[in-house]
Amino acid sequence: MKKTTLTLLALAGMAAAPAMAQTLAPSPTLDAIKARGSLECGVHLGLPGFSFANDKGEWTGLDVDYCKALAAAILGDANKVKFTPTSVQQRWPILQSGQVDLLSRNTTITFSRNASLGINFQGINFYEGQTFIVRKSANVKAAKDLDGASVCVAAGSTEEKNAADWFRERSMKVTITNFQKNDDAIAAYDAGRCDAYTAGIGALAGQRAKLKVPGDHIILAEPISNDPQGPVTRYGDERYQAVVRWVLNGMIAAEALGVTSKNVDDMKANSKNAEVRRLLGAEGNFGAMLGLSNDWMYNAIKQVGNYAESYDRTVGKDSALKIERGQNQLWTKGGLLFTPPFQ
Amino acid sequence: MRLSALLYDKKIRDLIYQVAVLGGLVATGVYFVRNASENMVKAGIASGFDFLGRTSGIDVPFVLTNYQPSDSILALFWAGVANTLFVSLIAMVLATVLGFLIGLARLSNHWLLSTLAGGYIEFVRNIPLLFFVLFWYFGVIAALPQPRESIGFFGIAFLNNRGLTVPATESLSAFGWALIAILIATLAHWTYARVAKARKEATGQDAPVMLVGLVLLIGVPVLALVVASIATQWSIPALRGFNYRGGFVIIPEFVALLAALVTYTAGFIAEIVRGGIQAVVKGQREASYALGLTRGQTLRLIIIPQAMRVMIPPMTSQYLNVLKNSSFGAAIAYPDIVSLFMGSALNNTGQAIEIIAMTLAVYLVIGLAVSALMNVYNENTKLVTR
Repeated sequence: MKKTTLTLLALAGMAAAPAMAQTLAPSPTLDAIKARGSLECGVHLGLPGFSFANDKGEWTGLDVDYCKALAAAILGDANKVKFTPTSVQQRWPILQSGQVDLLSRNTTITFSRNASLGINFQGINFYEGQTFIVRKSANVKAAKDLDGASVCVAAGSTEEKNAADWFRERSMKVTITNFQKNDDAIAAYDAGRCDAYTAGIGALAGQRAKLKVPGDHIILAEPISNDPQGPVTRYGDERYQAVVRWVLNGMIAAEALGVTSKNVDDMKANSKNAEVRRLLGAEGNFGAMLGLSNDWMYNAIKQVGNYAESYDRTVGKDSALKIERGQNQLWTKGGLLFTPPFQ
Repeated sequence: MRLSALLYDKKIRDLIYQVAVLGGLVATGVYFVRNASENMVKAGIASGFDFLGRTSGIDVPFVLTNYQPSDSILALFWAGVANTLFVSLIAMVLATVLGFLIGLARLSNHWLLSTLAGGYIEFVRNIPLLFFVLFWYFGVIAALPQPRESIGFFGIAFLNNRGLTVPATESLSAFGWALIAILIATLAHWTYARVAKARKEATGQDAPVMLVGLVLLIGVPVLALVVASIATQWSIPALRGFNYRGGFVIIPEFVALLAALVTYTAGFIAEIVRGGIQAVVKGQREASYALGLTRGQTLRLIIIPQAMRVMIPPMTSQYLNVLKNSSFGAAIAYPDIVSLFMGSALNNTGQAIEIIAMTLAVYLVIGLAVSALMNVYNENTKLVTR
């Protein structure tokens, strides 16, 4: 009897809902961000190209750009982000405890992290592969030449385990020395403690600049692993997670659809492509469906740019790192970047 | 007796207070544990100790146990405990020796010696330990050559910036026999010393305790070790590719951490030694000289035994500090419990509460054991008053 009443009540509630404005699932995180007026974004301690603060304290990089785009989508202003630098080891507690709204810091997506840390990965903003940097004088051409070498690595990183697994599989005797921070490991490598330092190819391109004589070192081209990286959130608050996911999708979709920060006004006013119109809020109410303003992606693209603009500026052809698009190219151009439709 | 009278009884009231305080503590503890585990379940964070059985997959550059990367996280834990104990115990012994020497130098009548010792103590006590650790680490690495320019010792041991590679052996059986021989010699010396002491007290005759001790405690062990090394199959390190292969490597992180702990702690121990010796009243020394004892005998037989009573409690604190300070090894990649377990394993499993609690327990257990040993020693040396 009681159950029937409840069911009836629920049905009545559902029937009444469309009559009002669309009811949104509660999102404490989005409410908190809006009340605070800024997004709290956990980034890397300092990795040129991905998240790096200049001498004025201004953060730049691919991971930083993503947080700026998210802030533009939620708050309408790409500058309303507070960046919290985190080490490899600080990143989980700082996210789990709610000190930051998300991590955007070169973090590799793995099964056990997703399953046991109470965290979700919201997409891939950089396809990374692990490799080694070695001295030119060591005459090493590929990772298989490293038998007998010592390798410096950051403790607790995926690289630490990858390297141990990779050498063990090949019965190679390699000494792995685990440092607490990436910068400590690089400094020890530079001081001659190790024959190689291992990290992602993209990360190494940026970290190479920290060496005393960058020209004396080479980065081995052949990766030993796949390390897809992207923004990370806590479990719970599905609506906020959807926002994080779709802002990243939106940046990639904008590139695929040819929307850039330069032509976004023109596209919004004149584009006949329905997906472009929905993305930019000229048609439908996609922003409102997530509890944001309808020009959420317009703001993100206008203020930060699409994925290609961000990539080229931070790690790609217009940056100091000059990393090829490679796997981080659209699927239509031979890469792996793909986004579900805005429909 | 009436109930109210029972409440005013001092013994019973004290008992009630103690039970209340203990109950409150337990309740608080239970509340925190339950609160944490509830919230972790809510946040989707794994908990429990199942992770200890998982494969660790972490390569450790310096292991004293049989740990392999294919072993469990529990094995990684023990490897970390062994490394922490190893560096701490050696540092305690060496810091005591160096601290005694500096403390005695500080008390010396020789102006230069005493000023140098004083300067050292002031310098060491006013510099943070982390500075020492990093200074020794980068100092050690910078001072040592690349593998190709290694410093060789008789063609069997090689020193370079990857560490000191020494010959190692797979089977330790010969050394087992040597150890037994050393133990027998030590026991023999102890018995001989007791007999000699009893005879001296009974008849006043001196026995050559020093000479016999030299033979039994230094001669026999050296001989036993030499015989054992000749009888053992050694793997001699040889340069191949990047570095020497074979043998056992003492890594520079160990040397740097040990040097930092010893030089730092010796400064504090030196002051404890000075304080202890100065606490012995002047009259004792004067009486000893008046009885015709030499300076050395006075120091050895009169001053130090009495100074020990004063020195032991602060020395215990210093030993505990060495143990805790060994966690600074994490700053320079010495694979101690903090670096391996709270660093690598914590990051791979994310089980912060369990891992931190276990690490805490390790320090607590070792620390309490050190304290207990020192207390036993203290009991034995304290002044027996009649």
